[in-house]
Amino acid sequence: MSFWQDFNRGIVSENPVLRLMIGLCPTLAVSTSAVNALGMAAATSFVLIFSNLVVALIRKIVPDQIRIPIFIIVISTFVTIIDYVMQAYTPDLHHALGVFIPLIVVNCIILGRAEAFAYKNPVLASTLDGIGMSLGFTLALLAIGLIRELLGAGAVFGVSLYNPAVAATIMILPPGAFITIGFLMALLNKLENKVQ
Amino acid sequence: MKKNIKMAAVLALFCVISAGLLAYVYNVTQPLIVQNAKRSFDLSLKRLIPAESFKQEKNAFVATKGKEVVGYAFAVKPQGYGGPVEMLVGLDKEGRVLAVKVLSHKETAGLGSNIENQKFLQQFVGKTAQDKIEPKQDIDALTGATISTRAVCYGVREAIDQCWEIIK
Repeated sequence: MSFWQDFNRGIVSENPVLRLMIGLCPTLAVSTSAVNALGMAAATSFVLIFSNLVVALIRKIVPDQIRIPIFIIVISTFVTIIDYVMQAYTPDLHHALGVFIPLIVVNCIILGRAEAFAYKNPVLASTLDGIGMSLGFTLALLAIGLIRELLGAGAVFGVSLYNPAVAATIMILPPGAFITIGFLMALLNKLENKVQ
Repeated sequence: MKKNIKMAAVLALFCVISAGLLAYVYNVTQPLIVQNAKRSFDLSLKRLIPAESFKQEKNAFVATKGKEVVGYAFAVKPQGYGGPVEMLVGLDKEGRVLAVKVLSHKETAGLGSNIENQKFLQQFVGKTAQDKIEPKQDIDALTGATISTRAVCYGVREAIDQCWEIIK
């Protein structure tokens, strides 16, 4: 039951973007289209799950006062390794996701979960938390990306639906991200109030 | 005091492990990365100009079919919005643009990154030294990405200039 909670928490009730309001920097930057959003979500999920796992593994030997520098070392090591490995073995995928990889380091969801959860919980629970948070991040990013691409560029997943000349360009510019996130948060609150 | 030393030791240990791991991964992947980059560059050249072989002469890649020169390709690197835009411009032997390809860039995802689109790059095909190649004149600028558009225009003009140096 509690494992289910660890997993479930990140999806709606503590959704990182729409509830905890963290990781907004990469969210604003890459949610201009559904494909970009999925790419960023995939790369971030990988780092988030493994950094949670490693932080939970080493938490007993890390002194409290220097935990943050050590988390940062772990996260940036992972990001760099992924960058190299993707460049070497999957160059096409790296070409598509390459611009997002440096953004993962500045994503505070990863540091936030290491600090708030993985540092205090065992490996399995931390990994599940990482998977759940990744799913929540992916869903939020995909929703924002779909809305912005549809309204701002007149397309869904790069398939043009109507003439982009009549689309609201503001939606693929930074203000469009704030507007979309605001409406989605309101919607989520409304739904949750109804359930209760 | 003893606590401080322990903390320094743990931090140093993590740094050493991280550095060792990265050094290992770097050594394993670097040859493959270089190889991939070269292969994709060669492939890009072949797609740019239909030719049998390419030979590098100073800043130009001379494309030949048999013994005849069929065109030139230039690697140019104009400054974009987020950093340099690396691109290849292929020209025929009269200095007319055959194709443009963007190899790498750091432009804004969703706006400036549209400089990779075929529809945008197609506009440059057939341009010569007589054309202006300016946004809003003979090139349609990308929405929300004027600087990126200008960078590509600048790169194409530069390649045409370099080509004329050789042809004349």
